[in-house]
Amino acid sequence: MNQIKFLEPTTFSEASTLLAERGDDAKVIAGGVSVTLMLQQKLISPSILVSLGEIVNGDFIRLESDGLHIGALAKLHDLERSQIVREFCPALAHTFSVVGNVRVRNQATLGGNLSAADYAADPPSMLMALDARVQVQGAEKKREIPLDEFFLGFYTTALESTEILTEVIIPKPARAAYFKYTSISAEGRPCVAVGVAADFDSDLCKDLRIAVGAAVETPQRIESAEAMARGQTLTDELVAAIANEYSLTLDPLTDVRGSAWYRREMIRVFVQRALEEVRNDR
Amino acid sequence: MILNVNGSRHEVKAEARMLLDILREDLNLVGTKEGCGVGMCGACTVLVDGKPFSSCHLLAEQVTGKEITTIEGLSRDGNLHPVQQAFLDKGAFQCAYCTPGFVLTTIALLNENPSPSDNEIREYLSGNLCRCGSYQNILQAVKAASEMI
Repeated sequence: MNQIKFLEPTTFSEASTLLAERGDDAKVIAGGVSVTLMLQQKLISPSILVSLGEIVNGDFIRLESDGLHIGALAKLHDLERSQIVREFCPALAHTFSVVGNVRVRNQATLGGNLSAADYAADPPSMLMALDARVQVQGAEKKREIPLDEFFLGFYTTALESTEILTEVIIPKPARAAYFKYTSISAEGRPCVAVGVAADFDSDLCKDLRIAVGAAVETPQRIESAEAMARGQTLTDELVAAIANEYSLTLDPLTDVRGSAWYRREMIRVFVQRALEEVRNDR
Repeated sequence: MILNVNGSRHEVKAEARMLLDILREDLNLVGTKEGCGVGMCGACTVLVDGKPFSSCHLLAEQVTGKEITTIEGLSRDGNLHPVQQAFLDKGAFQCAYCTPGFVLTTIALLNENPSPSDNEIREYLSGNLCRCGSYQNILQAVKAASEMI
């Protein structure tokens, strides 16, 4: 781990330029939760760390006409306690509050959490259900990526090698819920993560988005299952049918937190509970 | 590189080493323990500007210019910090390997929330593991400390 240069640019654009100049030798570090673990386990061996710790105003939380804007460097513990986040979407504040432990949440940034694309994470599923999008800064230009297109695989995102996530934009949901199932008491990582956002016209469901993560490589939505709810009353039978569709269609993984079979069963249970919560939340 | 630890400035060689290793090996502050080494158990907890962090996965470069508090920095003029005293009074440990982490996390909790409920205490301390299972006494100690402070 010796002889790593620690560079501290003060703007995202400067950081991205450094990445362009230094190529594969350089790694971005924000809060450092993932990067330090990967350094310790020798999964990465960069000669340069481009730290985002000195970037000015990278951790804002503000409400705009198109929704909530969160700076990529906002810490999860600050987000869970933010009055703005709590009033905008209680389920989102709840999602941040159940990540890891308080030390992780003090260190972890929202941008880092998404960019690491660790499958066993909480925010990605909730934010995908909320139809969030991210702003990224490249060496030459900025662009916006819908979260639906951001996660490509294990620890792999749509970010190009010089791009850095700078901001997350979240449209206001009518109702939302986040359910996390943890199978190992000594750690906070989910075995199954379910985010739901929904809109209703009295009893009729106008719109529904369900993203399931942690049990699969990247958070997944099944649009045909979501469409089953459109224009319908969410009866117990319909909720069970949608949960069943997620359970049967997804291809869960096996790891220390549960087998594929077990996760298939838990997906059914937790999609059902999350749907019941948005249905009953008036 | 300069680190501010327990109110003193220390010149250290960083070279992308973890804060825990610098505290224990260079500064001989061995009250900070290594447990799991991956941020799950809380034995290596230190306060950075008053907030709890796992020193086992924090690079020293990330905390230059910040105030680091370890368990050695709590007592004043030979008197224990009220949270330390409460842990002692309630016998909130057996082997005590996890205790520095629990004490520092409790201080951070009471800074954020001076009168936490039992559930809030359990929630905040859920990332600190005590393998002797002294949790009931720890809960009593945190409640006693919240009344003292």
